[in-house]
Amino acid sequence: MKSKIIAALVLSQLLFTYPVLAGDAKLPGDESDGSRAIPIHLIPLYAENEAGEKGEQINPDAEFPMPFSTRWSCSSIDCHSYETVSKGWHFNSVEPNVPAGRIGQPWIYFDPKLGLQVPLSYRPWPGTFRPEEIGLSAFQFTRIFGRHMPGGGLGEVDSNDFDEIARQYVSGKLEVNCFACHNAHYGQDMGGLGGYAVQLSRENFRWAATASCEFASVTGSAAKMLETYDPFMPDPDEKDAPRVTYQKERFNENNEVLLQIVREVPNERCYYCHSNLYYSHSEETEKWTSDEDIHLKAGLKCVDCHRNGVEHNIVRGYAEEACISRNPLAATSSCEECHLPDNEDNPKAGRFGAPIPTHPGIPPIHFEKLTCTACHSGPWPADRTVLTKTSRAHRLGTPNVNKAEEMLPHIISPVFAKEGDIVAECSGRLAASDGGKIAPHKVIWPAYWGKLEDNGVKPIELAIVEKVISGVFTDIETPATGDWPVITKEMIATALKALAKAVDGKAVYVAGGRLYSLDDSNQLVEQADHPAAAPYMWPIAHDVRPAAQSLGVRYCEDCHSPDAPFFFGSVTIDTPIVSEREFTKKMVEFQDISPFYAWAFAFSFVFRPWLKVIALACAVVIAAVLLLYALRLLGCVAKVFAERE
Amino acid sequence: MFRTVTIFVFIATFVCIGICCLLSPCSKECRWGPVSVLRRLIHVFTLLLLQQKLSPIGVLKKLIYLLAMLCFIVLAITGFYQRLILDEPISGYLIMIHATFAPIFAICLAALAVMWASRNRFKKSDCPLVQRILRSVTRLRVPIEASGCNITFVAQKITFWIIIFLALPLILSIIMSMFTLFGTTGQEFLLATHRWTALAFAVAAIVHIYLTIRTQMKQYYSN
Repeated sequence: MKSKIIAALVLSQLLFTYPVLAGDAKLPGDESDGSRAIPIHLIPLYAENEAGEKGEQINPDAEFPMPFSTRWSCSSIDCHSYETVSKGWHFNSVEPNVPAGRIGQPWIYFDPKLGLQVPLSYRPWPGTFRPEEIGLSAFQFTRIFGRHMPGGGLGEVDSNDFDEIARQYVSGKLEVNCFACHNAHYGQDMGGLGGYAVQLSRENFRWAATASCEFASVTGSAAKMLETYDPFMPDPDEKDAPRVTYQKERFNENNEVLLQIVREVPNERCYYCHSNLYYSHSEETEKWTSDEDIHLKAGLKCVDCHRNGVEHNIVRGYAEEACISRNPLAATSSCEECHLPDNEDNPKAGRFGAPIPTHPGIPPIHFEKLTCTACHSGPWPADRTVLTKTSRAHRLGTPNVNKAEEMLPHIISPVFAKEGDIVAECSGRLAASDGGKIAPHKVIWPAYWGKLEDNGVKPIELAIVEKVISGVFTDIETPATGDWPVITKEMIATALKALAKAVDGKAVYVAGGRLYSLDDSNQLVEQADHPAAAPYMWPIAHDVRPAAQSLGVRYCEDCHSPDAPFFFGSVTIDTPIVSEREFTKKMVEFQDISPFYAWAFAFSFVFRPWLKVIALACAVVIAAVLLLYALRLLGCVAKVFAERE
Repeated sequence: MFRTVTIFVFIATFVCIGICCLLSPCSKECRWGPVSVLRRLIHVFTLLLLQQKLSPIGVLKKLIYLLAMLCFIVLAITGFYQRLILDEPISGYLIMIHATFAPIFAICLAALAVMWASRNRFKKSDCPLVQRILRSVTRLRVPIEASGCNITFVAQKITFWIIIFLALPLILSIIMSMFTLFGTTGQEFLLATHRWTALAFAVAAIVHIYLTIRTQMKQYYSN
């Protein structure tokens, strides 16, 4: 009996402690005690060994020190759960069960000589393609785009390709680079000559995080190593092998390093991946000629709004996010939630001193038809859209960037269009939230070679495209600006004929909103506005302009006039085909509004001052008549009380 | 709530008018046979025509009245259709038509106010009850009309003044919203004012039109 009681006690103890043992309990560094002071990060650094486990502590005096591993260093003394962090939004694009939420910026694979400009994403955003659809493996994708990725997720996916497995062993995995965001030291090097981006281009995935830190430098290139190279047993004679050199003075007697780690990420870290450059038609455009977001100028930091806990489910800041995200601040971090009072028991508006707008003279229908960003964000709409560069698309902040305005890929903005559907999982059931509101967007016109299928166009893999098309586009010359080369319709027709022999099914080319194919007599046929050729658009949120620069702040004619760019601005249709480059579309065509109605409504505003004058004059006359007869009535009443006739 | 109330009010108004027609016809000779009904409808239609006996000012007054009626019908349909039938705010071509006819209607209302106010002013003889009250509480020698109160005529005057009175908030609420004087809360208040005033205005206008037709028909049958 006694033994049974003891067994029961032991079992109950195990049951209670299992969640702790299983890792559900937060590690000390992942749960704040409430202090807002910055914890000191004087910590040992650890490498990862060949078994993928925690290796030896980094010793700067070692002959061939290994790069440190963020996984094993940041969780070395049970401070931070790498597994928890690596499930955050920045790292979970390859997770199939993560709600995609509002569509965002894709990765753009482009090759001007092949006429390619393909939006890619691992998230199921409509209009993008998964990289494997064009034959890009996770390893290849990481090598091309890892420069502006914070690591983890895709960078840690094991390859299934035999050749790539060997290369992956040489290069290592691209771990979550905590330093990319949380290292506040001015020496954090993401885009410098030996920094993170350069290491990625050299396939030095294992070394990238180390190279980005201010106390280490990395030379050599894993890409130059053979598949048989063993990074854990480096050959001293191999001059091009990746090598780490640590600054010895940064290590104390216990080989610990004092790191300048902060919880609140400095803006400059965000800017490395999230910078925009909007070109102007009339002025020379440089970074210093445009202002930053008004929120930053008002004293806020990016992370004041875009917050997260240890789960790193960062707030993206759109209105429907609360339905998808488990971040408790998602509901209170959109424009409306900060700036507009609510009727809840505990008011949440006014955070960070957010002013409450009065919107004088703006009919409330505008708030049902437009997002806040339509009037407040992005560049002021001009007669024609402008080319835009972003960090992730144009490698901004990395060495040897082509700074020409026309450098591919071509992102067009601002395009005022109706937001797409947001498929949200609300309370356990799937709900399609019809965006419906007009918002400013960045746009890319996809250009790719594909096969026509029943349910659309499937892109042809890059290997086939390169093999076939480069044999056809032999004399093509890419301009120094990085713009599209001269590609004609005849060249497209020739390429399609060549592709038809290489693929099963009907070969097509998508570019500039059109689908090009060959008919039965091998003549080129164009189909305008094919769904597969639709532009990919993602909403603009920044930079937010000051209130004095919002649309409609001066007069209604900012938008409601027959030549207002909001409705009647020209949207460039970007295409490699030289004869099609002058075509444009009107902004109103993206807004699900009849162009004639938009014009007629805008034209009616010409008469609006007259309407006001006439209506006021009529009101005065009516008031005068009422006053006259009211005074007469008063006179009658006075006479009655005076008992006079 | 506005949609529900509006539907209820309009139904109640038309039901009351129908009951009034049935229980209190224009004339004792009124019949409800199909020929009689058709004859009455034709007569109502002829009310839209300009009588030869009218002077030029009389013609002008009637034309303005008819134009105001037309504008009212267009504004009522465009203003209430989307809200009542589709439960949406007015938008699209309907709002453009609404905004086109609105200033014309405002001008007509102002003209009607000036031209018809005198005809619609209240007199002692309108209601014997008022005469009796005046006679009893004052020393005024007020003659009491033997013919009794012409309820239709008095109601017509009352609805006229209600229409003129409601025209002010109806016009001002929407015009004020076009200036940068009111923020979102004020705009919503002005819009609600316009909406509810329009409902009251529409009911008053429907009743006024009915009473006007009834008065004309009564005059016809009495002649």
